[in-house]
Amino acid sequence: MSWIETALWVVAPYLTLLVLVLGLVWRYRYDRFGWTTRSSQLYEHRLLRIGSPLFHFGLLFVIAGHVVGLLIPESWTAAAGVPEWVYRFFSVTVGVVAGVCTLAGITLLIYRRRTTGPVFLATTRNDKAMYVVLVAAIVAGLLATMLSSGLGHHDYRLTVSPWFRGIWVLRPDAEAMTAAPWPFKLHAAIGMLLFAAFPFTRLVHAFAAPIGYPFRPYIVYRSRTPR
Amino acid sequence: MADKGDELALRAGRFFSRSATDPGLHTVYKTGGREGDVFYRDRWSHDKVVRSTHGVNCTGSCSWRVYVKDGIITWETQQTDYPSVGPDRPEYEPRGCPRGAAFSWYTYSPTRVRHPYARGVLVEMYREARARLEDPVAAWAEVTTNPEKRAKYQRARGKGGLVRITWAEATEIVAAAHVHTIQTHGPDRIAGFSPIPAMSMVSHAAGSRFLSLIGGTMLSFYDFYADLPVASPQVFGDQTDVPESADWWDAAYLILWGSNVPVTRTPDAHYMAEARYRGQKVVVVSPDYSDATKFADEWLPAHPGTDGALAMAMGHVLLKEFFVERQTPYFVDYVKRFTDLPFLVTLRPKDGAHVAGRFLTAADLGEDGEGAEWKTVLLGRGGRPVVPNGSVGFRWTDSGRGRWNLRLDTDPALTLHGRHARTTEVLLPRFDGGPGVLRRGVPVTKVGDHLVTTVFDLLLAQYGVPREGLPGTWPTGYDDPGEPCTPAWQEAITSVPAAKAIRIAREFAATAEKTKGRCMIILGAGTAQWFHGDTMYRAFLSLLMLTGCQGRNGGGWAHYVGQEKCRPFTGWAQLASALDWSRPARQTPATPYFYLHTDQWRYDGYDAGALSSPLGEGAFTGRHTAELVAQAVRNSWMPMAPAFDRNPLELGEAADPVAYTAEELRAGRLRFAADDPDDPRNWPRVLTVWRANVLGSSGKGSEYFLHHLLGTGSGLPAPDGTAPRGKLDLLLTLDFRMTSTTLFSDIVLPAATWYEKHDLSSTDMHPFVHAFSPAISPPWETKTDFTTFHAIARAFSELAGRRLGVRKDVVAVPYQHDTPGETAFPGGRAPSAPVTPNLVVVERDYGAVAEKMAALGPLAERSGLPVKGVTFRPDEEVAWLAQRCGLAPSGVAKGRPLLDTDAKACEAILALSGATNGRLAAQGFAELAERTGTDLGGIAHRDLRITFADTQTRPAQVGPSPEWSGKEAPDRRYSPFTVNVEHDKPWHTLTGRMHFFLDHDWMHEYGEALPVYRPPLDLGTLVGETGEGLVVRYLTPHSKWSIHSEYQDNLIMLTLSRGGPTIWMSVPDAAAIGVADNDWIEAVNRNGVVVARAVVSHRMPRGTVYMHHAQERVIDVPLSETTGKRGGIHNSLTKLLIKPTHMIGGYGQLSYGFNYLGPTGNQRDEITVIRRRSQKVRY
Repeated sequence: MSWIETALWVVAPYLTLLVLVLGLVWRYRYDRFGWTTRSSQLYEHRLLRIGSPLFHFGLLFVIAGHVVGLLIPESWTAAAGVPEWVYRFFSVTVGVVAGVCTLAGITLLIYRRRTTGPVFLATTRNDKAMYVVLVAAIVAGLLATMLSSGLGHHDYRLTVSPWFRGIWVLRPDAEAMTAAPWPFKLHAAIGMLLFAAFPFTRLVHAFAAPIGYPFRPYIVYRSRTPR
Repeated sequence: MADKGDELALRAGRFFSRSATDPGLHTVYKTGGREGDVFYRDRWSHDKVVRSTHGVNCTGSCSWRVYVKDGIITWETQQTDYPSVGPDRPEYEPRGCPRGAAFSWYTYSPTRVRHPYARGVLVEMYREARARLEDPVAAWAEVTTNPEKRAKYQRARGKGGLVRITWAEATEIVAAAHVHTIQTHGPDRIAGFSPIPAMSMVSHAAGSRFLSLIGGTMLSFYDFYADLPVASPQVFGDQTDVPESADWWDAAYLILWGSNVPVTRTPDAHYMAEARYRGQKVVVVSPDYSDATKFADEWLPAHPGTDGALAMAMGHVLLKEFFVERQTPYFVDYVKRFTDLPFLVTLRPKDGAHVAGRFLTAADLGEDGEGAEWKTVLLGRGGRPVVPNGSVGFRWTDSGRGRWNLRLDTDPALTLHGRHARTTEVLLPRFDGGPGVLRRGVPVTKVGDHLVTTVFDLLLAQYGVPREGLPGTWPTGYDDPGEPCTPAWQEAITSVPAAKAIRIAREFAATAEKTKGRCMIILGAGTAQWFHGDTMYRAFLSLLMLTGCQGRNGGGWAHYVGQEKCRPFTGWAQLASALDWSRPARQTPATPYFYLHTDQWRYDGYDAGALSSPLGEGAFTGRHTAELVAQAVRNSWMPMAPAFDRNPLELGEAADPVAYTAEELRAGRLRFAADDPDDPRNWPRVLTVWRANVLGSSGKGSEYFLHHLLGTGSGLPAPDGTAPRGKLDLLLTLDFRMTSTTLFSDIVLPAATWYEKHDLSSTDMHPFVHAFSPAISPPWETKTDFTTFHAIARAFSELAGRRLGVRKDVVAVPYQHDTPGETAFPGGRAPSAPVTPNLVVVERDYGAVAEKMAALGPLAERSGLPVKGVTFRPDEEVAWLAQRCGLAPSGVAKGRPLLDTDAKACEAILALSGATNGRLAAQGFAELAERTGTDLGGIAHRDLRITFADTQTRPAQVGPSPEWSGKEAPDRRYSPFTVNVEHDKPWHTLTGRMHFFLDHDWMHEYGEALPVYRPPLDLGTLVGETGEGLVVRYLTPHSKWSIHSEYQDNLIMLTLSRGGPTIWMSVPDAAAIGVADNDWIEAVNRNGVVVARAVVSHRMPRGTVYMHHAQERVIDVPLSETTGKRGGIHNSLTKLLIKPTHMIGGYGQLSYGFNYLGPTGNQRDEITVIRRRSQKVRY
């Protein structure tokens, strides 16, 4: 195993986590009022109305796919009586549909961002860099998904997933990851970059999703903290 | 709960939160979590609040709270502490508008001028010459006289290349330019332009005081802006005096005529809305569906510029129904006492009939006493001629003391009809395009050798109101379209239905009769700013005078066009003209000044006689308007700068400068500069602009300014190659933001904003005086105008003391209104022989200018403070100022009260004015009462004394004063001429009454002796303005998103409006040339080019476009397809056109006064071609 692979699959995950956590803490402390998507809905809404749900809902399915694929060991699905080919069939179809939706959504959003004058004027260099990383992650992920199906027959649940789970128990299985084909490696590397960028870009808004909103009354009284 | 799902979610939510939720699931109670509040508390917290306001270009004079936090101006809000106007009427507070609320953006904006700048090429050449010659004045002389160097920096004007310089160098260059000009050309080659003193009196006075002390001239603004309604001096003998806006509430009937109050008087518009709840009827006359129209009960959309015809037709109805068919007692009594209608006019034979001549005077009756030629005559009881009190013949004579009043002691005959059997036909001019002249009969009688009739009888003939037994051709009825001035006749001209015009006229008069004159007409730029705006206004004012509305609360004219009343007038005038040190100050009407010096006169191809009356004597035929300007100057009717083609200091070196100058003139060795304005000896050399934006806002004929006065690139389509270019040596501008004027200036000095200095503000819209105060010190290298001019004065004095020393300056003074000079030309005859000018020698101590500027001079109490024929004696006030402000320790001003800070100058202005100092007002009224012989004792509020501290605390209400014509008190709203009407005090006119009839030679020549309809100029015939395609009337009214050029570049206003240059067009006009909304178009005429985007709106009438006033070249102005150069500003299409009658002088109310009378810079008669252009614009 080369030193590059060690750096990528042993050092980088923890660096990413460190940057993500400390970055979020820093952002929360020093830029709480900048914790926003900087919505451009005021400047343009017609394309946004199509592009934004396409992208975000696609992304939710993609995330769900990642959760299942990365966290649930193959042995568990096998024990549940789901044959590998069935699992793969569903993961590839759903994954490709969700991935294509996400990609189409972001393409529309980027098109809108470039062609609508006021929206483009409200686009920072930070945004542009973020878009490159985000699109790269999606494209690489889609590529990997397709390779793992008819194109390449690679079972990532035996390489990427063990490595990923190992990270959380402080025993990253870099060997397993080394065995994965390059599209998966590329996707994983870009993914780490994306997470590292989270606190410093508008992606941070993902951590402020108003999940509690449907579950709380609409009037909130806040009494002062007794001194 | 509307939804089961919601309820489920909320019920579930309770299990994930420790906070209590109410059983109804509406509310959750939490403790803490309020850290976020801090942000919002901090956002709206501030360290201090300072009272200030917005200066110069707005009539609002709204007091504002300016908020400061950490030394930074953060925002402003409206003040609400105006004194109450009393119960049962709406209050003034709060006042303001979105523009004012956006002002603080300027403080730290990219457009802020932060440092002194100079044109790079100029400063390089100056530095080189300065180092070589070791003398600033010699260096300036070399740079400006070497033809190559001169051309080099003049051509660079407006093309960038401004570089930062130090204050020391800037003041040195400015001082050197002034010294060189005074030495070489004369002090009257130096001019200053700064308008509207009311909105920052001290900032205006600072520069004006400096220029007045060195002998430079101040240029007028009110007439130049065409805001001056010349009809006001003509009819009232008063510059402009109008009701405050709270008096709109008192009106029962309100006509808005060419005024758009919600847009141009935003803080006051609420009174219009509120008065409607009181039952007031509102009628709007406006060609477009303006913002004011929305308030109106009736909308009369007259074609632009034809409003006079509507007013004449309304006058026709009014005279017929309220004077002839039925004599309305209130109206008849009013016009007999307060107007010239009963006065006798001589008739002289012409073409087998007669024409109106002049007022019959006591001299015509054989009297030869003092002022007999100036005492007008009427027929008293029993038909015998009576010379009533009050005419100007009683004003300046010893025998007139105690008799200059409006007591009649007889019942004058308004008409000779029915009393005298004789009649004759008079010839009257018509300008409506109808055939020939009008022949209409009047009753006449003989007084001595003179065949006479009354003004009233002439007026009925003029308005075409027939009476039994009178010869001539008369309208057959209201429906006669062929004869002026019937309702049917006006319908063909204005498009307003005749029936509607009749109904409005009846309602107006009936309301005035019932309410004793509570009908008001608010007049605006839409009617004022035409070439013949004065005739329009006379038609409007006639309606008000006939119905007894002037001098009544809730009645009369309300002209709101730029007239921004400097209430503490006398104190301001004293400081601004440095009258405390030397008198008189040089003052010049700006319209003819710029007409000559920007060479716009060369492009006037038309014969000045082309606009004369068919009944005229041909006095103007074959003459050029510029010749008439020169003649008015030679007649001493009107001043001009420069005065002569020689340095007035050189004339002052003779043993007897006055005799020497007169002799040189007589011998022809000395000529008036106006006779040859293009001779380099007669060029203006230095122009200082502050609080103004002449090249971006007010300078009509902008391209002529650039081409000839500045000598730089212009969009002039066909420049006159024989005319000089680059007359001006130095254009100096003080401003806080980059404007078109600063971009073309040689030196730009960074000014403090209105939130960074002490000053005073007042307006005609409300009766208060209140303070500007510095919220922060001037940031970066900026300085207040006051400090800047004192710095320039110190640099100047240092250079000038040795080089110029103490000199005698010969000043030519015109015959002035409100002085005995207004009785210079009896009978209103234009002089045929040369007039000897009135010359005054003024001593100028050039080394002491700075010292004099900074102290109140001795003439203040020694000679008194003259104002409108009254003299204030401020001995106590000068002593008080000495204690309040301290004394000058040394120098020429030793022992005089100091005026070395802006706050002290404010204090002096308030102390020396009757409006803010009841003691002076009472003394003035006492002096006036000696002349009138009437009781004026109760008018003044003797105890009123407003100090600067009072104005800083809250807006302070001023008191009545001889400076103004109306009475006012905390429980009485200001309305003009109430002193005249209630105290028999004459108007400052020939007859002492309000005038329908003006008998000056030139008025007859122009056919405007009586109110008359004159249509907009036909520029196609007059100057050959024609074009291919869509030709439209080009108007430049004010916009909702700017005040002049201010705010149109303000980010907040740009966001609220469409932003960038726009021209509003009607839907059919746009369709005709294939223009869609927001398309780029070009407007082209003989004066220049404008590139703008079209706003296509149903608001606009066909055939007229609006380019909102003062959209400058600083925002989004692309290159023009027509010229390839940057595409102009709104004034690129306009040009000055001078109406000769505005230059009449030395005759009663038609006598010169600074900003009181002078040719207007009217621009509304202009037309242009509109083309769709390539939508690809380049910058």
